[in-house]
Amino acid sequence: MSNDVRTRQIVSRETHASRAVASLVVVILGIVFCLYVLLEATLQALGQDAWLTDPAALGAWLSRLPENADTAVLGLSGLLILLAGLVFFLQAVLPGRRPRYSLPNPRAAVVVDAEVLASSLARRARLTAGVTAGQVLVTVGRTRIDVRIRPTSGIPVDEEAVRAAVTEELELTGLSPCPEVRVQVSPVGVIGQ
Amino acid sequence: MNRTPRTLNRILLGLIGLILIGIGGGLLWLTLDSGAASRWQRFAPEMLERIRAFGADTTLPGQSQSWVWVLLVFCMLAAIVLLVLWAAAQGRGRTGTLVSEYDDDGAPGRVAVSGAVAEQALRAALQEDPAVAAAAVSTYDVRGSSALRIRINPRQGAAPHLIAADATRLVEALDAALGREPAVLISIDAGRRLRFNREDRVR
Repeated sequence: MSNDVRTRQIVSRETHASRAVASLVVVILGIVFCLYVLLEATLQALGQDAWLTDPAALGAWLSRLPENADTAVLGLSGLLILLAGLVFFLQAVLPGRRPRYSLPNPRAAVVVDAEVLASSLARRARLTAGVTAGQVLVTVGRTRIDVRIRPTSGIPVDEEAVRAAVTEELELTGLSPCPEVRVQVSPVGVIGQ
Repeated sequence: MNRTPRTLNRILLGLIGLILIGIGGGLLWLTLDSGAASRWQRFAPEMLERIRAFGADTTLPGQSQSWVWVLLVFCMLAAIVLLVLWAAAQGRGRTGTLVSEYDDDGAPGRVAVSGAVAEQALRAALQEDPAVAAAAVSTYDVRGSSALRIRINPRQGAAPHLIAADATRLVEALDAALGREPAVLISIDAGRRLRFNREDRVR
Protein backbone atom coordinates (compact mmCIF):
# COMPACT_ATOMS: atom_id res chain seq x y z
CA MET A 1 0.00 0.00 0.00
CA SER A 2 1.38 3.40 -0.88
CA ASN A 3 2.04 6.03 1.72
CA ASP A 4 -0.59 8.34 0.18
CA VAL A 5 -3.42 5.86 0.68
CA ARG A 6 -2.30 5.13 4.22
CA THR A 7 -2.03 8.83 4.98
CA ARG A 8 -5.59 9.37 3.82
CA GLN A 9 -6.81 6.46 5.93
CA ILE A 10 -4.98 7.77 8.98
CA VAL A 11 -6.45 11.26 8.50
CA SER A 12 -10.00 9.95 8.20
CA ARG A 13 -9.54 7.82 11.32
CA GLU A 14 -8.11 10.74 13.26
CA THR A 15 -10.88 13.16 12.31
CA HIS A 16 -13.71 10.76 13.18
CA ALA A 17 -14.63 9.27 16.55
CA SER A 18 -14.02 5.54 17.04
CA ARG A 19 -17.09 4.86 19.21
CA ALA A 20 -14.91 2.92 21.63
CA VAL A 21 -16.55 4.45 24.72
CA ALA A 22 -20.11 3.60 23.64
CA SER A 23 -18.91 0.11 22.75
CA LEU A 24 -17.42 -0.39 26.20
CA VAL A 25 -20.65 0.81 27.81
CA VAL A 26 -22.59 -1.73 25.75
CA VAL A 27 -20.07 -4.45 26.66
CA ILE A 28 -20.41 -3.76 30.39
CA LEU A 29 -24.23 -3.66 30.25
CA GLY A 30 -24.26 -6.78 28.10
CA ILE A 31 -21.97 -8.70 30.46
CA VAL A 32 -24.12 -7.77 33.48
CA PHE A 33 -27.26 -8.90 31.66
CA CYS A 34 -25.64 -12.13 30.43
CA LEU A 35 -24.29 -12.94 33.91
CA TYR A 36 -27.76 -12.55 35.40
CA VAL A 37 -29.39 -14.74 32.73
CA LEU A 38 -26.55 -17.24 33.17
CA LEU A 39 -27.20 -17.45 36.91
CA GLU A 40 -30.94 -17.90 36.54
CA ALA A 41 -30.49 -20.44 33.73
CA THR A 42 -28.02 -22.43 35.83
CA LEU A 43 -30.43 -22.49 38.77
CA GLN A 44 -33.21 -23.67 36.46
CA ALA A 45 -31.02 -26.31 34.84
CA LEU A 46 -30.10 -27.67 38.28
CA GLY A 47 -33.73 -27.62 39.37
CA GLN A 48 -33.10 -25.07 42.14
CA ASP A 49 -35.31 -22.16 43.16
CA ALA A 50 -34.91 -18.95 41.17
CA TRP A 51 -32.77 -16.13 42.64
CA LEU A 52 -34.73 -12.98 41.79
CA THR A 53 -37.47 -13.95 39.34
CA ASP A 54 -38.90 -17.30 38.40
CA PRO A 55 -38.88 -17.42 34.56
CA ALA A 56 -42.41 -18.89 34.45
CA ALA A 57 -43.74 -16.15 36.73
CA LEU A 58 -41.88 -13.52 34.70
CA GLY A 59 -43.46 -14.84 31.51
CA ALA A 60 -46.92 -14.76 33.05
CA TRP A 61 -46.36 -11.21 34.33
CA LEU A 62 -45.16 -10.06 30.91
CA SER A 63 -48.17 -11.60 29.18
CA ARG A 64 -50.57 -9.64 31.43
CA LEU A 65 -49.01 -6.22 30.72
CA PRO A 66 -49.97 -3.40 30.92
CA GLU A 67 -52.80 -3.97 33.45
CA ASN A 68 -50.64 -5.36 36.25
CA ALA A 69 -48.12 -2.50 36.37
CA ASP A 70 -48.21 1.21 37.10
CA THR A 71 -48.81 2.97 33.78
CA ALA A 72 -46.43 5.81 34.61
CA VAL A 73 -43.58 3.49 35.62
CA LEU A 74 -44.10 1.25 32.60
CA GLY A 75 -44.32 4.15 30.16
CA LEU A 76 -41.31 5.89 31.67
CA SER A 77 -39.13 2.79 31.60
CA GLY A 78 -40.21 2.18 28.01
CA LEU A 79 -39.23 5.74 27.15
CA LEU A 80 -35.84 5.40 28.87
CA ILE A 81 -35.04 2.15 27.05
CA LEU A 82 -36.14 3.77 23.79
CA LEU A 83 -33.87 6.78 24.39
CA ALA A 84 -30.89 4.58 25.30
CA GLY A 85 -31.46 2.59 22.13
CA LEU A 86 -31.69 5.79 20.13
CA VAL A 87 -28.40 7.05 21.58
CA PHE A 88 -26.59 3.84 20.62
CA PHE A 89 -28.22 3.78 17.20
CA LEU A 90 -27.24 7.40 16.48
CA GLN A 91 -23.69 6.62 17.62
CA ALA A 92 -23.65 3.93 14.96
CA VAL A 93 -25.18 6.02 12.19
CA LEU A 94 -23.87 9.57 12.63
CA PRO A 95 -20.47 10.37 11.09
CA GLY A 96 -19.00 11.42 14.44
CA ARG A 97 -16.66 14.13 13.20
CA ARG A 98 -14.19 15.35 15.78
CA PRO A 99 -13.29 19.05 15.89
CA ARG A 100 -9.99 18.48 14.09
CA TYR A 101 -8.68 19.65 10.75
CA SER A 102 -6.29 18.06 8.33
CA LEU A 103 -3.45 20.19 6.96
CA PRO A 104 -1.83 19.43 3.61
CA ASN A 105 1.63 17.93 4.00
CA PRO A 106 3.91 16.20 1.50
CA ARG A 107 5.23 13.57 3.90
CA ALA A 108 2.90 12.94 6.82
CA ALA A 109 -0.73 13.01 7.85
CA VAL A 110 -1.22 16.21 9.85
CA VAL A 111 -4.28 16.87 12.00
CA VAL A 112 -4.83 19.95 14.16
CA ASP A 113 -7.31 20.43 16.98
CA ALA A 114 -9.77 23.27 16.32
CA GLU A 115 -8.64 24.81 19.62
CA VAL A 116 -5.03 25.06 18.48
CA LEU A 117 -6.09 26.68 15.22
CA ALA A 118 -8.39 29.09 17.07
CA SER A 119 -5.62 29.99 19.48
CA SER A 120 -3.17 30.77 16.67
CA LEU A 121 -5.76 32.87 14.83
CA ALA A 122 -6.64 34.67 18.05
CA ARG A 123 -3.01 35.53 18.58
CA ARG A 124 -2.77 37.01 15.10
CA ALA A 125 -6.01 38.96 15.55
CA ARG A 126 -4.85 40.22 18.93
CA LEU A 127 -1.51 41.45 17.56
CA THR A 128 -3.19 43.16 14.61
CA ALA A 129 -5.89 44.82 16.68
CA GLY A 130 -3.55 45.76 19.51
CA VAL A 131 -5.71 44.36 22.29
CA THR A 132 -5.05 41.88 25.11
CA ALA A 133 -5.78 38.17 24.93
CA GLY A 134 -8.95 38.47 27.01
CA GLN A 135 -10.54 40.77 24.43
CA VAL A 136 -10.45 38.36 21.51
CA LEU A 137 -12.66 35.32 21.13
CA VAL A 138 -12.22 33.05 18.11
CA THR A 139 -14.62 30.22 17.28
CA VAL A 140 -13.56 27.78 14.58
CA GLY A 141 -16.30 25.94 12.73
CA ARG A 142 -16.31 23.75 9.65
CA THR A 143 -17.53 26.45 7.28
CA ARG A 144 -16.77 29.67 9.08
CA ILE A 145 -14.53 31.28 11.65
CA ASP A 146 -15.90 33.91 13.98
CA VAL A 147 -13.55 36.49 15.45
CA ARG A 148 -15.12 38.61 18.16
CA ILE A 149 -13.17 41.58 19.45
CA ARG A 150 -14.03 43.90 22.32
CA PRO A 151 -11.85 46.96 21.66
CA THR A 152 -10.21 49.02 24.38
CA SER A 153 -12.35 52.08 25.03
CA GLY A 154 -11.24 55.03 22.90
CA ILE A 155 -8.94 53.03 20.64
CA PRO A 156 -10.72 51.99 17.43
CA VAL A 157 -10.07 48.58 15.87
CA ASP A 158 -9.75 48.29 12.10
CA GLU A 159 -12.12 45.45 11.32
CA GLU A 160 -10.93 44.99 7.75
CA ALA A 161 -7.26 44.83 8.76
CA VAL A 162 -8.03 42.14 11.35
CA ARG A 163 -10.03 40.19 8.78
CA ALA A 164 -7.18 40.37 6.25
CA ALA A 165 -4.61 39.28 8.84
CA VAL A 166 -6.69 36.33 10.07
CA THR A 167 -7.45 35.26 6.49
CA GLU A 168 -3.76 35.44 5.62
CA GLU A 169 -2.85 33.31 8.64
CA LEU A 170 -5.58 30.85 7.70
CA GLU A 171 -4.36 30.60 4.12
CA LEU A 172 -0.87 29.80 5.41
CA THR A 173 -2.26 26.71 7.15
CA GLY A 174 -3.77 25.58 3.83
CA LEU A 175 -7.06 24.27 5.19
CA SER A 176 -9.34 22.89 2.52
CA PRO A 177 -12.13 23.83 2.21
CA CYS A 178 -11.09 27.18 3.56
CA PRO A 179 -13.66 28.50 6.04
CA GLU A 180 -15.03 32.02 5.72
CA VAL A 181 -13.70 34.54 8.24
CA ARG A 182 -16.10 36.88 10.03
CA VAL A 183 -14.94 39.64 12.31
CA GLN A 184 -17.27 41.29 14.79
CA VAL A 185 -16.06 44.31 16.67
CA SER A 186 -18.19 44.89 19.73
CA PRO A 187 -19.76 48.36 19.96
CA VAL A 188 -19.01 48.34 23.70
CA GLY A 189 -15.40 48.95 24.65
CA VAL A 190 -13.39 47.66 27.61
CA ILE A 191 -11.93 50.06 30.15
CA GLY A 192 -8.51 49.79 31.77
CA GLN A 193 -6.80 47.25 29.57
CA MET B 1 -4.07 5.21 14.34
CA ASN B 2 -4.79 2.29 16.66
CA ARG B 3 -6.58 -0.86 15.60
CA THR B 4 -10.00 -0.19 17.11
CA PRO B 5 -12.48 -2.12 14.92
CA ARG B 6 -14.57 0.89 13.98
CA THR B 7 -16.90 -0.79 11.50
CA LEU B 8 -17.59 -3.61 13.95
CA ASN B 9 -18.26 -1.05 16.71
CA ARG B 10 -20.78 0.74 14.54
CA ILE B 11 -22.53 -2.44 13.37
CA LEU B 12 -22.87 -3.84 16.89
CA LEU B 13 -23.91 -0.49 18.37
CA GLY B 14 -26.52 -0.12 15.65
CA LEU B 15 -27.90 -3.63 16.26
CA ILE B 16 -28.09 -3.17 20.01
CA GLY B 17 -29.60 0.27 19.55
CA LEU B 18 -32.31 -1.17 17.29
CA ILE B 19 -33.07 -3.96 19.79
CA LEU B 20 -33.39 -1.44 22.64
CA ILE B 21 -35.53 0.84 20.47
CA GLY B 22 -37.78 -2.15 19.76
CA ILE B 23 -38.18 -3.11 23.43
CA GLY B 24 -38.63 0.45 24.67
CA GLY B 25 -40.94 1.40 21.82
CA GLY B 26 -43.02 -1.73 22.45
CA LEU B 27 -43.40 -0.96 26.15
CA LEU B 28 -44.34 2.62 25.35
CA TRP B 29 -46.84 1.51 22.74
CA LEU B 30 -48.47 -0.93 25.18
CA THR B 31 -48.96 1.78 27.78
CA LEU B 32 -50.22 4.43 25.38
CA ASP B 33 -52.45 2.48 22.99
CA SER B 34 -55.27 0.38 24.50
CA GLY B 35 -55.81 -1.42 21.18
CA ALA B 36 -52.22 -2.62 21.19
CA ALA B 37 -52.59 -3.66 24.85
CA SER B 38 -55.62 -5.83 24.18
CA ARG B 39 -53.93 -7.39 21.15
CA TRP B 40 -50.87 -8.16 23.27
CA GLN B 41 -53.02 -9.71 25.96
CA ARG B 42 -54.68 -11.95 23.39
CA PHE B 43 -51.38 -12.89 21.76
CA ALA B 44 -49.03 -13.29 24.75
CA PRO B 45 -50.79 -16.04 26.78
CA GLU B 46 -50.96 -18.18 23.63
CA MET B 47 -47.24 -17.65 23.08
CA LEU B 48 -46.53 -18.42 26.73
CA GLU B 49 -48.51 -21.65 26.48
CA ARG B 50 -46.52 -22.66 23.43
CA ILE B 51 -43.22 -21.95 25.23
CA ARG B 52 -44.39 -23.96 28.23
CA ALA B 53 -45.31 -26.88 25.96
CA PHE B 54 -41.91 -26.61 24.28
CA GLY B 55 -40.24 -26.70 27.72
CA ALA B 56 -42.23 -29.83 28.63
CA ASP B 57 -41.35 -31.51 25.32
CA THR B 58 -37.65 -30.89 25.77
CA THR B 59 -37.46 -32.26 29.31
CA LEU B 60 -34.86 -34.98 29.50
CA PRO B 61 -36.20 -38.35 30.60
CA GLY B 62 -35.65 -38.85 34.34
CA GLN B 63 -35.14 -35.12 35.00
CA SER B 64 -37.47 -32.32 35.96
CA GLN B 65 -35.95 -29.57 33.84
CA SER B 66 -35.70 -28.89 30.11
CA TRP B 67 -32.31 -29.09 28.41
CA VAL B 68 -33.02 -25.67 26.92
CA TRP B 69 -31.73 -24.21 30.19
CA VAL B 70 -28.39 -25.96 29.74
CA LEU B 71 -28.27 -24.65 26.18
CA LEU B 72 -29.03 -21.15 27.48
CA VAL B 73 -26.17 -21.46 29.99
CA PHE B 74 -23.74 -22.25 27.19
CA CYS B 75 -25.14 -19.49 24.99
CA MET B 76 -24.64 -16.96 27.79
CA LEU B 77 -21.09 -18.17 28.41
CA ALA B 78 -20.33 -17.78 24.70
CA ALA B 79 -21.94 -14.33 24.66
CA ILE B 80 -19.83 -13.19 27.63
CA VAL B 81 -16.64 -14.44 25.96
CA LEU B 82 -17.56 -12.61 22.73
CA LEU B 83 -18.34 -9.41 24.63
CA VAL B 84 -14.99 -9.57 26.44
CA LEU B 85 -13.24 -10.12 23.09
CA TRP B 86 -15.06 -7.11 21.65
CA ALA B 87 -13.93 -4.94 24.57
CA ALA B 88 -10.35 -6.25 24.28
CA ALA B 89 -10.24 -5.33 20.58
CA GLN B 90 -10.56 -1.61 21.35
CA GLY B 91 -7.51 0.57 20.99
CA ARG B 92 -4.87 -2.05 20.29
CA GLY B 93 -2.02 -1.64 17.86
CA ARG B 94 0.93 -0.22 19.82
CA THR B 95 4.12 -1.96 18.92
CA GLY B 96 7.77 -1.75 19.94
CA THR B 97 9.41 -2.39 16.57
CA LEU B 98 9.67 0.23 13.86
CA VAL B 99 11.43 -1.81 11.18
CA SER B 100 12.07 -5.53 11.05
CA GLU B 101 13.58 -6.85 7.85
CA TYR B 102 15.46 -9.76 6.43
CA ASP B 103 17.32 -9.28 3.20
CA ASP B 104 18.90 -12.20 1.53
CA ASP B 105 22.42 -10.81 1.19
CA GLY B 106 24.19 -13.79 2.69
CA ALA B 107 24.58 -12.40 6.19
CA PRO B 108 22.61 -14.33 8.81
CA GLY B 109 19.84 -12.80 10.93
CA ARG B 110 17.22 -10.09 10.72
CA VAL B 111 17.65 -6.38 11.17
CA ALA B 112 15.20 -4.80 13.58
CA VAL B 113 15.00 -1.17 14.66
CA SER B 114 13.20 -0.51 17.90
CA GLY B 115 10.46 2.11 17.94
CA ALA B 116 12.32 3.76 20.82
CA VAL B 117 14.98 4.98 18.35
CA ALA B 118 12.50 7.14 16.47
CA GLU B 119 10.52 8.00 19.58
CA GLN B 120 13.43 9.35 21.58
CA ALA B 121 15.17 11.07 18.66
CA LEU B 122 12.01 12.86 17.53
CA ARG B 123 10.91 13.79 21.03
CA ALA B 124 14.28 15.25 21.96
CA ALA B 125 14.45 17.22 18.69
CA LEU B 126 10.88 18.49 18.96
CA GLN B 127 11.37 19.79 22.45
CA GLU B 128 14.03 22.19 21.17
CA ASP B 129 11.30 24.04 19.26
CA PRO B 130 10.16 26.94 21.45
CA ALA B 131 6.61 26.67 20.07
CA VAL B 132 6.28 23.10 21.37
CA ALA B 133 5.18 22.71 24.98
CA ALA B 134 5.23 18.92 25.03
CA ALA B 135 5.72 16.14 22.52
CA ALA B 136 5.13 12.41 22.59
CA VAL B 137 5.97 9.86 19.92
CA SER B 138 4.68 6.31 19.76
CA THR B 139 4.90 3.46 17.26
CA TYR B 140 1.81 1.68 15.95
CA ASP B 141 1.23 -1.29 13.75
CA VAL B 142 -1.19 -0.19 11.00
CA ARG B 143 -2.28 -3.08 8.79
CA GLY B 144 0.99 -4.90 8.87
CA SER B 145 3.31 -1.93 8.47
CA SER B 146 4.56 0.30 11.23
CA ALA B 147 3.58 3.92 11.61
CA LEU B 148 4.70 6.74 13.89
CA ARG B 149 2.31 8.91 15.83
CA ILE B 150 3.79 12.27 16.78
CA ARG B 151 1.66 14.09 19.28
CA ILE B 152 2.51 17.73 19.87
CA ASN B 153 1.06 20.12 22.43
CA PRO B 154 1.90 23.58 21.12
CA ARG B 155 2.25 26.67 23.26
CA GLN B 156 -0.75 28.94 23.22
CA GLY B 157 -1.00 30.91 20.00
CA ALA B 158 1.65 28.97 18.12
CA ALA B 159 0.97 28.62 14.38
CA PRO B 160 0.14 24.99 13.60
CA HIS B 161 1.55 25.05 10.06
CA LEU B 162 4.97 26.13 11.33
CA ILE B 163 4.99 23.34 13.92
CA ALA B 164 3.91 20.84 11.25
CA ALA B 165 6.65 22.03 8.89
CA ASP B 166 9.24 21.72 11.66
CA ALA B 167 8.06 18.21 12.55
CA THR B 168 8.03 17.23 8.86
CA ARG B 169 11.68 18.30 8.55
CA LEU B 170 12.57 16.10 11.51
CA VAL B 171 10.64 13.17 10.04
CA GLU B 172 12.49 13.58 6.74
CA ALA B 173 15.80 13.56 8.60
CA LEU B 174 14.70 10.35 10.33
CA ASP B 175 13.73 8.87 6.94
CA ALA B 176 17.23 9.60 5.69
CA ALA B 177 18.80 8.01 8.76
CA LEU B 178 16.60 4.91 8.68
CA GLY B 179 16.45 4.40 4.93
CA ARG B 180 12.74 3.57 5.34
CA GLU B 181 9.65 5.76 5.21
CA PRO B 182 7.09 4.64 7.76
CA ALA B 183 3.65 6.26 7.66
CA VAL B 184 3.60 9.26 10.00
CA LEU B 185 0.81 11.04 11.81
CA ILE B 186 1.54 14.49 13.20
CA SER B 187 -1.26 15.26 15.61
CA ILE B 188 -1.26 18.80 16.99
CA ASP B 189 -3.46 18.57 20.09
CA ALA B 190 -4.67 21.25 22.43
CA GLY B 191 -4.07 18.95 25.38
CA ARG B 192 -5.14 19.60 28.92
CA ARG B 193 -2.40 22.07 29.61
CA LEU B 194 -3.68 24.55 27.05
CA ARG B 195 -7.32 24.00 27.78
CA PHE B 196 -7.33 24.74 31.50
CA ASN B 197 -4.59 27.25 31.98
CA ARG B 198 -5.28 30.80 33.04
CA GLU B 199 -4.21 33.77 31.08
CA ASP B 200 -0.46 34.12 30.77
CA ARG B 201 0.88 37.23 32.45
CA VAL B 202 4.08 37.61 30.49
CA ARG B 203 3.92 37.59 26.73
